[in-house]
Amino acid sequence: MKDKKTIILTGLVIIAFAIVPFFLDVNTSYIGYFLFLSFCYTIIAQGWNLVAGYTGQVSLGQHAFFGLGAYTTAIVWLRDITKTGYYFDPVTMTLSGLVPVILAIIIGIPLLSRLRGDYFALGTLGVGEIIKVAFVKGGAFTGASDGLHLPSTIFESMKPYYWTGLFLALFATAVVYFLIRSRVGLALRAIREDETSAASHGIHILKYKILAFAVGAFLTGLSGSLFAYYLFHINPDAVLKLDWTLYPILMCVMGGSGTVIGPVIGTFFMNALLAITDIYFVQVHPIVAGVLIILVMKFMPRGLVGVIDTIKSRG
Amino acid sequence: MLKYLSFKLIIQLLVNGILFGTMYGIAAIGLSLVFGTMRIIFLSQGTIIIFLAYICYWLFTLFGIDPYLSLVIVIPISLFLGMGFYQGLFREAAALEDKNISLLIAVGLMFLVENLMTVFWTANPRSLQTTYTSLVFRPFDIGIPFNRLIGLFMAVLSTAGVVLFLKKTLIGMAVRAASEDMVSATLMGISPHRVNAVAFAIGIGLAGVAGVGLATIYPFDPFYGFIFALKAMISLAIGGIGSVSGALLGGIILGLLESLASFFISGGWSDAVSYAIFLIVLMFKPEGLFVRSVKKA
Amino acid sequence: MEKHLLEVKGVDVLYGDVQAVWDVSIYVNEGAIVALVGANGAGKTTLLKTISGITRARKGEILFLGKSLTKLRPQEVVGMGISHVPEGRRLFSKLTVLENLRLGAYSPRARSRFTESLERAYGLFPVLKERKGQTAGSLSGGEQQMLAIARALMTLPELLMLDEPSLGLSPLFVRTMFELIFTLNNQKVTILLVEQNIHQALKIAHHAYVLKTGRIAMSGRGNELLANQEVQKAYIGERWSKK
Repeated sequence: MKDKKTIILTGLVIIAFAIVPFFLDVNTSYIGYFLFLSFCYTIIAQGWNLVAGYTGQVSLGQHAFFGLGAYTTAIVWLRDITKTGYYFDPVTMTLSGLVPVILAIIIGIPLLSRLRGDYFALGTLGVGEIIKVAFVKGGAFTGASDGLHLPSTIFESMKPYYWTGLFLALFATAVVYFLIRSRVGLALRAIREDETSAASHGIHILKYKILAFAVGAFLTGLSGSLFAYYLFHINPDAVLKLDWTLYPILMCVMGGSGTVIGPVIGTFFMNALLAITDIYFVQVHPIVAGVLIILVMKFMPRGLVGVIDTIKSRG
Repeated sequence: MLKYLSFKLIIQLLVNGILFGTMYGIAAIGLSLVFGTMRIIFLSQGTIIIFLAYICYWLFTLFGIDPYLSLVIVIPISLFLGMGFYQGLFREAAALEDKNISLLIAVGLMFLVENLMTVFWTANPRSLQTTYTSLVFRPFDIGIPFNRLIGLFMAVLSTAGVVLFLKKTLIGMAVRAASEDMVSATLMGISPHRVNAVAFAIGIGLAGVAGVGLATIYPFDPFYGFIFALKAMISLAIGGIGSVSGALLGGIILGLLESLASFFISGGWSDAVSYAIFLIVLMFKPEGLFVRSVKKA
Repeated sequence: MEKHLLEVKGVDVLYGDVQAVWDVSIYVNEGAIVALVGANGAGKTTLLKTISGITRARKGEILFLGKSLTKLRPQEVVGMGISHVPEGRRLFSKLTVLENLRLGAYSPRARSRFTESLERAYGLFPVLKERKGQTAGSLSGGEQQMLAIARALMTLPELLMLDEPSLGLSPLFVRTMFELIFTLNNQKVTILLVEQNIHQALKIAHHAYVLKTGRIAMSGRGNELLANQEVQKAYIGERWSKK
């Protein structure tokens, strides 16, 4: 399906994104911030896409992984654990992706082996809340409810943020793309279609569910790390709020979960909608998100990709 | 701390817990009914309770209507709201196999309502004070706050009402039957839409009672709804889906556990304990503690 | 020529991408007992479910007393006068016997005659009257089957569809079951019967269809098919034990 035309098109789009900072002053323009935020959301959305869209396990606890990633970055940096001293330190970021993976495996094993569907979703919600409490109560280590403050004097320009964000968003999309096309992807989709049937074909259900969950957690943690470098003040309210789960879910679903390009389209589309409503009335943001989730679920549960498909097959 | 431990104190903690737990209980009954017929987890239950609490609050603050009397207004509003939610939001989604869609609609509704309330009414916590809300009875020197006691009465009365409705009316029987086996129910001529709408209406009706109860007992803000919904689900998980009295009992048990936990463990951790209990019950006994397995006919 | 009470014409039924029923046509005459027999998975249950509206036909037509059933939902089909006792009975196990019966008379057409229908049910099945306050789940297998049929009768059906009524019953009860079917038919109830117990089914049926992998393999009068060599070889004479 990935013919020459699509590859060229994708390449052009990537180049277009990459050269934006040369045309716009990313430091001051709102579009710069908008794109950066969209990259952050895209990463999380792709992570959720893998777990829920392709494997059929709806998780409502992604914000726990996001927060963990953010806090890991903050703690590692503040305590100079990696001793590398870089700003956007790849080692730190990778660590920030791995810590959530540990959590994903720890809670994934009991939750995914025992809970199906709705119950699993509720379980992840519960975990998310527990993590939030844990960080608020973490004392000096996590900065309690005030959180951790990173030295913001380092901030010079949005450009590294933009390109790192773009890179990670591409990375996340690529991970999903290649994973889905592999044997792993086949297994995941089989699980989503019919677990019992998949099991009877010898697919180790739990192993693959945890794999998807862990990869999703890794990506989400990366996004948290990226955002931590931007936010500088890491506190529970900012990085552990349910929004970090809900918005990406909405964006993924709006674009079309279970597709590679869906979360990308959905994120940019949704974020644009939210940004536009922001112009008129700042607090309307979450209300619009809420209304949109309802509308999308009611009228186009297959997302924009689904709508495009339907139009194509009718045309 | 042991110095302060006394029999009376324990009783006081237990009483507090039970009285507040009934609020969780009736919220849980609503959840149970909706889940029973439609297999939908109505996550927005808590936020709707807060919304109705606000209505009670404004009826009192703006018009001087006594909160308990306001039930006469709040309950009909809730019933209509319940039916409205079903018709407008969940009607088609309920028939789908993919239950995640209705879950996400419920999440969207929660988001929508809690932020609407924040915009209109700010995020500041509200609480209701009338001339008698601070009244405390002291039998045997144990403080029983008047408002919590009334809350208990309301909870018990509404639970009894719901039980009677389900047992004695034909439509109530239909709801019970549909909760057990919807397909079989349709083969009797029962319309799924009708039982679903009734279940939703009762569910939100109970939310109205819980809203009034909450308004008079505890300060509330728009975002408390989410937490309340989680607590209601924990209650349901403890008490068992499919049993009305089980749900109420589950709420009471949770109230008890919370009351004890918040005394012995510091602040935020007691919430974590509740969530942990939730996870444990979910994993090891999702049907709850009270539902005995029945042989399928 | 007797009047066709039920006509199923050229019906295809699919579950997703899997076709379960291929171009099936059957006819049920008023006052008859018609049997649908065949091996496990032959499509018999699917066909009943399509008639009662639980599943939808992809192609074809279903007419009852000349009116189309194809687009109707189960609760509407009941209103037309068809009652379906599904495979496995599917009683409301947490409700009492009486409540199950009461719900049987839920539809408008049956509601007003509840009291007399109840008396008739108790007359046919005295044991149900004894156990009317017990939960359906606490009854024995045979009693549950009786309740299931009694409940279906409460809907005042013109056509009663029974899916594997003898399933899981002791041999004595199986005999009672078929005697009951015979009695009901004498009381002017038209019956469409799906059965794995082919011998008994063909003995009692006026007309029968043999289904094989979703298609009609044979049809004819009950006793003719019973005597048929092929049928005997393929289905009867083997010990059938369902899991």
